[in-house]
Amino acid sequence: MLEYITRRTLVLIPMLLIITFLIYAGLELTPGDAVSFMVSPDVLANISPERLEALRESLGLNDPFVIRYFKWLGGVLRGDFGYSLTSGVPISKIVIDRLPATIELSVAALLISTVLGSILGTLSALKKGSMLDHMLTVAGMIGVSIPQFFFGLVAILIFALKLGWLPSGGRMMPGYDSFLDRLPHLVLPAFVLGLTMTAGVMRYARASMLDALNKEFIKTARSKGIPEWRVNFIHGFRVALTPVIVLVGFRLPMLIGGSVIIEQIFQWPGIGKEFVAAVRGQNLPLVMMIALFFVLAVLIASFLVDFFTALLDPRVKLD
Amino acid sequence: MDSIKQQEESGIVKNKLQNRVLNKFFNNKLALIGLVVFTFIVLATIFAPLICRYHPGKIDVINALQPPSAKHILGTDKIGRDVFARIVYGGRISILVGLGSALGAALIGVMIGCYAGYKGGWLDKIFMRISEIFMSFPQIILVLLLVSIVGQSLWNLLLIFIVTGWGSVYRLVRSQMLSIREEEYVQALRAFGLNDFIICYKHMLPNALGPIMVNITLSTAMFILQETSLSFLGLGVPLNIPTWGNILNVAQDLSILKENWWIWLPVGILISTFVLSVNFIGDGLRDSTDPTQQG
Repeated sequence: MLEYITRRTLVLIPMLLIITFLIYAGLELTPGDAVSFMVSPDVLANISPERLEALRESLGLNDPFVIRYFKWLGGVLRGDFGYSLTSGVPISKIVIDRLPATIELSVAALLISTVLGSILGTLSALKKGSMLDHMLTVAGMIGVSIPQFFFGLVAILIFALKLGWLPSGGRMMPGYDSFLDRLPHLVLPAFVLGLTMTAGVMRYARASMLDALNKEFIKTARSKGIPEWRVNFIHGFRVALTPVIVLVGFRLPMLIGGSVIIEQIFQWPGIGKEFVAAVRGQNLPLVMMIALFFVLAVLIASFLVDFFTALLDPRVKLD
Repeated sequence: MDSIKQQEESGIVKNKLQNRVLNKFFNNKLALIGLVVFTFIVLATIFAPLICRYHPGKIDVINALQPPSAKHILGTDKIGRDVFARIVYGGRISILVGLGSALGAALIGVMIGCYAGYKGGWLDKIFMRISEIFMSFPQIILVLLLVSIVGQSLWNLLLIFIVTGWGSVYRLVRSQMLSIREEEYVQALRAFGLNDFIICYKHMLPNALGPIMVNITLSTAMFILQETSLSFLGLGVPLNIPTWGNILNVAQDLSILKENWWIWLPVGILISTFVLSVNFIGDGLRDSTDPTQQG
């Protein structure tokens, strides 16, 4: 167990070094003076050329590339992400400001897709080969074929513009102070993002439930005369659930990709929307740092998934 | 028994595997429907000039935002361009991007995966690490990151899709090669002293074609979805070229979303239908070529 975790960590570290190195190389390619995203623009506005040169020296901009990289990496580890080119705000502050909105949306979507996906997947596994099973399979394929943004647009048209039940976008309004106030704003984007991810969970839950139902201990339970529903739900579902929980971690890249688009459509002020704005505005430092942030999130999540799988399932231990 | 032997000698049984694959595919109703819809849409875009009365770029401001009528089957957009013509011509670019990226990514992935998977060793390790780095980025984030570095154009987008997509094909082919490598006929070929390239590309690769075809189909669907999403955000194909995503781009405007459904709803449904048909084909291919599913 300990060996597995150590080995996994040892693989993670060179990965992180290479990725940060690539990101830094990208930053260096940014047109313009590197000083502009390393120093607050207020300082930069009234500075003499000699002082600027001294500043460059003290920032280490005249050092060789590899040394500059390690200095930058040290800064990133201490939370110094540099400054946005357009607004001059520290990038770490932008990320921290936008993070709660994105987490709120992601957690809601994860919850919706996990609950719906595992219920539908289990149903379809229990009724394998039936009409319901076929219909759910086709529905799942339709679900992954509709572009997320198109689904979002139709949802806005129906529930916000035509029926007027829910707001079409935004998150905060003047006078909002509790979560309940902004809940109506969360419903549409969370459902759109959640439903588009349900198909994958459903397919996975169906497969792992079928797998669990074919196990010997299920046959034993049946032959002992335990009622069918008890066999399915108490014995089968519990075993099938573990991989579904693991799937939550693997859905993170999908969640991030989805949130980029959904946040844009619903004007949800999260990191995804900020990222699109940065790409549109050619604000490379911000693009790079947000991308780095996302990659870190994915790598750490997959590390944690491996960790918990190893913890739960003794079979994965040592390969 | 005797008749089977005769059949075998006259070469009928030999074709049976291929027939079985085809039979299985054509017995799958969804896959068949998918193939029909796919062919229909592709043919429509190829023969676009024959079925469209208007040029997709022709501006006619006087007749802007016309609802569907006999003159314009799907109405006109904000500057009076015929929506139907734009959808049909746009399909050319969208399908080209989807299919082209999937084929390009497959070509690179197969070339590297086949050789590296067969040879193993440091070459394989290096490509494995590289693909891991590519795959640790959420796809759309990496695509947008590259768009912001190299700039926006049709060919750049195609290139970016290929660069971000080869990793999954490589891993697939590599894993296939790892199992085929252990087969006895490969040992025999090696004992004959055949060239490595001939062994892996000519003799091993054909045995891995099934999963590769499935992968190409499914990634075509994925790339079409990505192109439309990026173009919808205004970050994919430049806006002056009509693509399915670019037509939908105007729907970000809430008033168009509410009042002018004909501009965005038909094309959205068309994209979904097309991607669904490709997914059906891919699923059918998987069912018919996967030996574990054969009965």
